[in-house]
Amino acid sequence: MDGPVTQLHPRRIYILPTGVGLVFAMMTFAMLLGSMNYNNNLSFVLTFMLIGVGFVAMHQCQRNLVGLELSFAGTEPVFAGQSAQFRIAVANRSKSPRHRIRLYIDDVQSDIKDLEQGESKIFVLPVGTEKRGWITLERFGIRTLFPFELFRSWAWLHMEPRGLVYPHPSEHAPPPPATQTALGHRQHDARGEEDFAGLRKFHTGDSPRNVAWKAYARTDQLLSKQFAGADMSSQWFDFDAVIADDLEQRLSILTRWIIDADRTREDYGLRLPGQSFAPAHGESHRRQCLEALALFGLEDADG
Amino acid sequence: MARARGTDGSLLASLPWTLLALAFALLPHVPYLPAWITAALLACAIWRYSIEVRRKPVPPALLRASLALACFLGVLYTYSTISGVGPGSALLAIMAALKLLETRQRRDQFVLLFIAIFLVMSSLLREQYLWSLPYLVVGVILIMTAWLRTAADDLEPLRRSLGTSSRLILYAAPLALAMWIFFPRIATPFWAVPIDTGTAVSGLSDTISPGDISALSKSDAVAFRVKFDGVVPDPRDRYWRGLVLHRFDGRTWSGISEPRISSGALKNIQTAGEAVQYEVTLEPTRQHWIFALDIPYHWDLESTFLGPQHQLARVQPIDQRIAYKAVSYPDYRIDLELHPYRRGWYLEFPESRNPRTAELASSMRAAATSDEAFVRAVLKKFNEEEYHYTLEPPPLGSHPVDRFLFETRRGFCEHYASAFAVMMRAAGIPARIVVGYQGGELNPVGDYMIVRQADAHAWTEVWLPGSGWRRVDPTAAVAPERVDAGRTGAMFDGTAAAWGLGAPSRLLHNLVLTWDAANAKWNEWVLGYGPENQERFMNWLGMDDPDWRQMILTLVALVTGLTMLISLALMLRYRPPSRDKAAILYDRFVRKSGLKPATGETPRGFAVRAQRDSPLPADSVRSITDTYLDVRYGPPDPALLRRLEVDIAAL
Repeated sequence: MDGPVTQLHPRRIYILPTGVGLVFAMMTFAMLLGSMNYNNNLSFVLTFMLIGVGFVAMHQCQRNLVGLELSFAGTEPVFAGQSAQFRIAVANRSKSPRHRIRLYIDDVQSDIKDLEQGESKIFVLPVGTEKRGWITLERFGIRTLFPFELFRSWAWLHMEPRGLVYPHPSEHAPPPPATQTALGHRQHDARGEEDFAGLRKFHTGDSPRNVAWKAYARTDQLLSKQFAGADMSSQWFDFDAVIADDLEQRLSILTRWIIDADRTREDYGLRLPGQSFAPAHGESHRRQCLEALALFGLEDADG
Repeated sequence: MARARGTDGSLLASLPWTLLALAFALLPHVPYLPAWITAALLACAIWRYSIEVRRKPVPPALLRASLALACFLGVLYTYSTISGVGPGSALLAIMAALKLLETRQRRDQFVLLFIAIFLVMSSLLREQYLWSLPYLVVGVILIMTAWLRTAADDLEPLRRSLGTSSRLILYAAPLALAMWIFFPRIATPFWAVPIDTGTAVSGLSDTISPGDISALSKSDAVAFRVKFDGVVPDPRDRYWRGLVLHRFDGRTWSGISEPRISSGALKNIQTAGEAVQYEVTLEPTRQHWIFALDIPYHWDLESTFLGPQHQLARVQPIDQRIAYKAVSYPDYRIDLELHPYRRGWYLEFPESRNPRTAELASSMRAAATSDEAFVRAVLKKFNEEEYHYTLEPPPLGSHPVDRFLFETRRGFCEHYASAFAVMMRAAGIPARIVVGYQGGELNPVGDYMIVRQADAHAWTEVWLPGSGWRRVDPTAAVAPERVDAGRTGAMFDGTAAAWGLGAPSRLLHNLVLTWDAANAKWNEWVLGYGPENQERFMNWLGMDDPDWRQMILTLVALVTGLTMLISLALMLRYRPPSRDKAAILYDRFVRKSGLKPATGETPRGFAVRAQRDSPLPADSVRSITDTYLDVRYGPPDPALLRRLEVDIAAL
């Protein structure tokens, strides 16, 4: 998931004095006037040393960023309303340590970290989410106040790292539909044996072993055999079957059902207009289903 | 909403350093500050530090406000003013103490560090010694280290902070030097602020009262330093004329308190013989007197005049160290005519005091054939009778001259000059006392003369018809070595012999002379780097007639150039590490093979391909690849690297 590496070029780095820096400048100016008035050569030395330190601090502040290499180190999908943790790797390929680097976007800030020579560290930008779908950081900044907080130097990065946002799980979801069988009622087979329970329409994802080939030969229709006990706990979450006001609410309810079903480790399937996921469970199945819900109906669904 | 007063120990990384920087900045002020201010700051520092250690809340606002008011009134009560270096530094110390108590956040410490910088600056305004430079450099390093730790969020190793701040200050040093040299110095201050230095300036007193204790004679402090342009006068001619005292009330001699301008004074001087040219660097005296060899004829100091009594004085008191060139003629005659009104000045003395002296003078004058003979007779009396030269004479009573001449018979220059002048006046010869310095030690290290406070001297001048004012030094009659060798030499030889420490103390004395020479250079080139010295230095650099625009331009050009150098140094510091030697050699091998390694292809994979597709011998390809992998990933082995180089070169 690592994106391309962006190296910070000196021309892309901005620098401005901070409030403390402005006070420092005013102080050195006052000291200069004082030294001139008293014709005091030692206080001239002190004044010019501090002015020199200011100059050096300015260059040091900018150089602290120059040459850093940034790359996107991925972000875990989150549910709308949670904050997406954008992970940015910053590598210091130079021979000297870099100090007090911080990433930021608007009012969100990462931790401040030092980078030893040759070291690279992950900076996390927690960005709040509202809508499902892809969330992209148009730009983010990297900045430093090192060494004396007299200057702030920063650079904007347009790497456009992207993270996935699942729909917000509904808080007031109706109970999920009952386990479906071809007969339309629940089987209570205490023995748990795989007794033939009936036939139903074939769906993508059904095992070919369960296809009623004889029936196919007879009726020219693909039917799957249903067994009592074997898929007793498997459920189908059908987009069309959800009763809700709008699309987002439906997706939200489906998301809630999937999370709950995943927690109980039951098999579940998801049926959306145009796509369908056969009942299963596990991390990758959950991810597939939620991703489909997140991107359902969005233009850049595969972008 | 009130801010939380609690502390969480987050300042522990930087607070000790801020306190250390403050303490260091305060150090030179301690002797001048009232003890309660130092104690208050110390107490606040300990208090605040323990608050941080124990995670306690800072004191409430009401307590802080009342403390602030109390301290401010205390300063006002102690100094009765708030302007000047003394009260200013006291206020800074108070501000630091009170700011400490309300420091909650990391960034509040910046204020404390600003105060520390101003404390260092005000200590430099007060005094500038040779050690002031190291003091200010160490001060800046400490302050900037504390600053760095204040700006940092977490604890970083001390060595790293110290290293970073020292490195940045080292970068700043050439910038500071360039600005210091080329920043145009102006002669006149913008606004006149009296510098209350608080230091007691030692110097000559405006009056002398033989019988009072003089501490001056024991002071080794430098009065002034002299560089001679050509011949150095003999010790017996080294009379540095200062002020003239002509009023005598029976006990105390005094002169005119303010210098007077007399345009005609030079006209009354007749000179003969060779002139002596020299430059004097005078330490501040806060008096008006300018010292010059007897008798000054030219000088290059502004608003300085020769008064009617031939005493040089400047209109403004000497508040700062000054340097001036002067020309004197050791062979001179002054005031061949004495106005009757003036003559009256020099004959006056209270009849009721010192009657025995007056009686003795009258009888001795009657016995002498002429005024000159009388002068000689009195000097002979001092020389032949039991009179002693001592720096610790017994006290004298209400008839000090009588008691000295007839009873104690012990004293130093003031006693002899006073007694001699009184005797002259009693015999009708105009006489006055000249106060100045006599002698001076040549410092071979810097090739100049040091005149110390201990060389302070008083002698007399008598007016004789036909020859004008003539210098008579009665002390020379009593203790000729005092005048011939100078006091420093006499004292030195005596002490050394008494302790049997010929060689070691001579070595010590040479060290003292070397130290003084360093101080003289320091005074001249660092502290005295004013408009004149700067112009001299600019001329030496090849700038003809530099004006301030030229200097500012040079300054800007230099600062720009140096800044670029600093930027370059930083760029080198943050450059990527140089490539591995083996990798460079391997690149050469790849180029010779004529093939291009595919992305992600390992050296072994490439070797297989090279053996098949390149014209290079298969054995060499394999062995070079093996050697390369050993060098690159094995333990460092210079021999192996050398082999790789040879093998690749052989292809």
